[in-house]
Amino acid sequence: MTENQTRRGKFHWLTSFRHGPTLALLAIIALFAILDWQFGSGRFFSPRNARVIVNSAALIAVPALGMTMIIIAGGIDLSAGTALTLSGTALAIAFRDYTIPADQAGAATWIAAALALGLAVGVLCGLLNGLIISLTEMVPFIVTLGTMTIFLGLGQVIADESTVYPESEHLPDWLRYLCYTGSNSDHYWIDFLHIPASALIAIVLGLLVAALMHFTVFGRNVVAIGSNVSTARLCGIRVGLTTAAVYALAGVFVAVGALLYFANVKNGNPSDGTGKELEIIAAVVLGGGSLSGGRGSVLGTIIGALIIKTISSGCTMLSIPNTYTHIIIGVIIIIAVLIDGLRNGAPKWLFDRLR
Amino acid sequence: MKRFILPLVMLLAVTLIVAGCKSSSDNSSASNAGDGDGKQLRIAVIPKGTSHEFWRSVHFGAEKAAQEIGNVEILWRGPVVESDTGSQIEVVKSMITMGVDGIVLAPNQKGGLVDAVEESIGEGIPVVIFDSGLDDGPEIVSYVATDNFKGGQMAGDAMAKAIGEKGNVILLRYLAGSESTEQREEGFLEALKKYPDITVVSSDQYAGDNATSAKEKADQLLQLHGESLAGIFAVCEPNANGTLEAIKNAGMAGKIKFIAFDPSDALIQGMRDGHCHGIVLQDPVQMGYQSVITMVDFINGKSAEDFQSTGEYLATPENMDQPQYQTLLKPETVQ
Repeated sequence: MTENQTRRGKFHWLTSFRHGPTLALLAIIALFAILDWQFGSGRFFSPRNARVIVNSAALIAVPALGMTMIIIAGGIDLSAGTALTLSGTALAIAFRDYTIPADQAGAATWIAAALALGLAVGVLCGLLNGLIISLTEMVPFIVTLGTMTIFLGLGQVIADESTVYPESEHLPDWLRYLCYTGSNSDHYWIDFLHIPASALIAIVLGLLVAALMHFTVFGRNVVAIGSNVSTARLCGIRVGLTTAAVYALAGVFVAVGALLYFANVKNGNPSDGTGKELEIIAAVVLGGGSLSGGRGSVLGTIIGALIIKTISSGCTMLSIPNTYTHIIIGVIIIIAVLIDGLRNGAPKWLFDRLR
Repeated sequence: MKRFILPLVMLLAVTLIVAGCKSSSDNSSASNAGDGDGKQLRIAVIPKGTSHEFWRSVHFGAEKAAQEIGNVEILWRGPVVESDTGSQIEVVKSMITMGVDGIVLAPNQKGGLVDAVEESIGEGIPVVIFDSGLDDGPEIVSYVATDNFKGGQMAGDAMAKAIGEKGNVILLRYLAGSESTEQREEGFLEALKKYPDITVVSSDQYAGDNATSAKEKADQLLQLHGESLAGIFAVCEPNANGTLEAIKNAGMAGKIKFIAFDPSDALIQGMRDGHCHGIVLQDPVQMGYQSVITMVDFINGKSAEDFQSTGEYLATPENMDQPQYQTLLKPETVQ
């Protein structure tokens, strides 16, 4: 700790990247705005595009909030992507087979039941991860690698290896327009403020998680476990119980993410989730989360999701081929984590040389 | 508290941008609908993915149309994540934001893209759908695609001819819920009803979306029905590649008549070697070409038919060297 402090005092120009993610986002927005203004259509920096970007960012940010807690607790969840589409597929099946058209009387009960089912599936997935990890004390990476394919397989079983399409009349209007980004004011929650409902949900959930992590004993315990498990145990924290709770709670966010996914694509396809976990983890890491635990930020995670989606939107508008978009996102993730490391005195050889 | 200030300012800025839309209210879209003369038209063409040969041929056709008409720019944009509905929705929305003059789209899922297309039409941007259908609802300009049912019927007739109108045949399906291949399957079964001496011994097996799983399924079916089998029909390219391998492995190449849908190098070679007896072909170049022509005509005030077929053809060992079939077997692609 003292070593860290002296480093910080001595090289404060290198260690002053406190607002790294935010600055990076602003820089990326500015960069694309200028490039698009010069070479593109000039529509990148527009309200419409802001809506499209915050909506797609919300789709990652919501499950990433749960992932933030898991990563702060020193864990990882590779099954988040397939758990999300498993929950989304269950939701789609519920809407296809067990609801009545949304405008008929009594539809609300069925819709509530369908939503509860989706939520239950998400929480059960998380709880399963949490229980296996805390009871067997296996490495989370391996456990969730296993459950990742289990959830994919389960999804394919319940969906009959296909895509589940519910009738559009069965979907209530509020659900249809959760991810709406057009210019009709009626479809937004706040009439005069055109923010997609998905983004509002992400913001509210973000505030809740931030409050949970900062102001409750549970939040403190999670940070303690992620920082040092043995110390946490010595302090009397019930590590197993808390870990299981964190994964189950993350399941709630996976389920809400599944609801947004379903509202976006209007159907459930279990294999859509493969690869999503990496985007989710990337958002947390871009936002300053540390895979060795103990560190992560809600705001950072949301900004991380915005960074990923801003880049992919900017690249689409600038006619940059998809192949290069993938390369650019990868490079930015590595640079962001590298810069983030600087404020903690890593890499050590560089600081040793500078001393 | 201090460390929250900068992020908060930033979020506020984003909120303001978003809020600003009320006053500016996207007046851009109104100006670019309807006027086709004079200024250059920008048409977005959005395939399901970008890595398959098929889409590169569609791209070639779209560019060909743009060159012929002149004054048209093609914006070729595939979803960032291959074959991912969410990713394709993002691309459609980005194209709406860019204020293109028209969107030509091959929807990944018939239901998933409905709202995005509705949004586009709501902003005054017309939409042409190609290759795969979209659920009913939005007022699209036209649907340009292969008549897959008819293609399936052609495969059925080709099969009947190849096996002398009698014997046991297998239909190897693709995936449940994929509309275009389901129509091919139905067309095939429909055509075979005309031949009383042909028995379909298996038509309920799904081969999956890659050659490996198709080969596995075909292996099992060959073991089960091999001795008394006269022919197999595989409904799409990955499916057919796997089946061809399985037939060769079983040592039945040439004995079992094999009909495929969509060409590949392996299938063309198989046809030369006498292992494959017919390939039903689509015309992706024509699909791209006709979609763009339809879109430009619509912008210039000409309406189009609801469904336009781009034609389906049967390549056989006899006709495969004719120039027309050579072009269809190896369609041109954008470099």
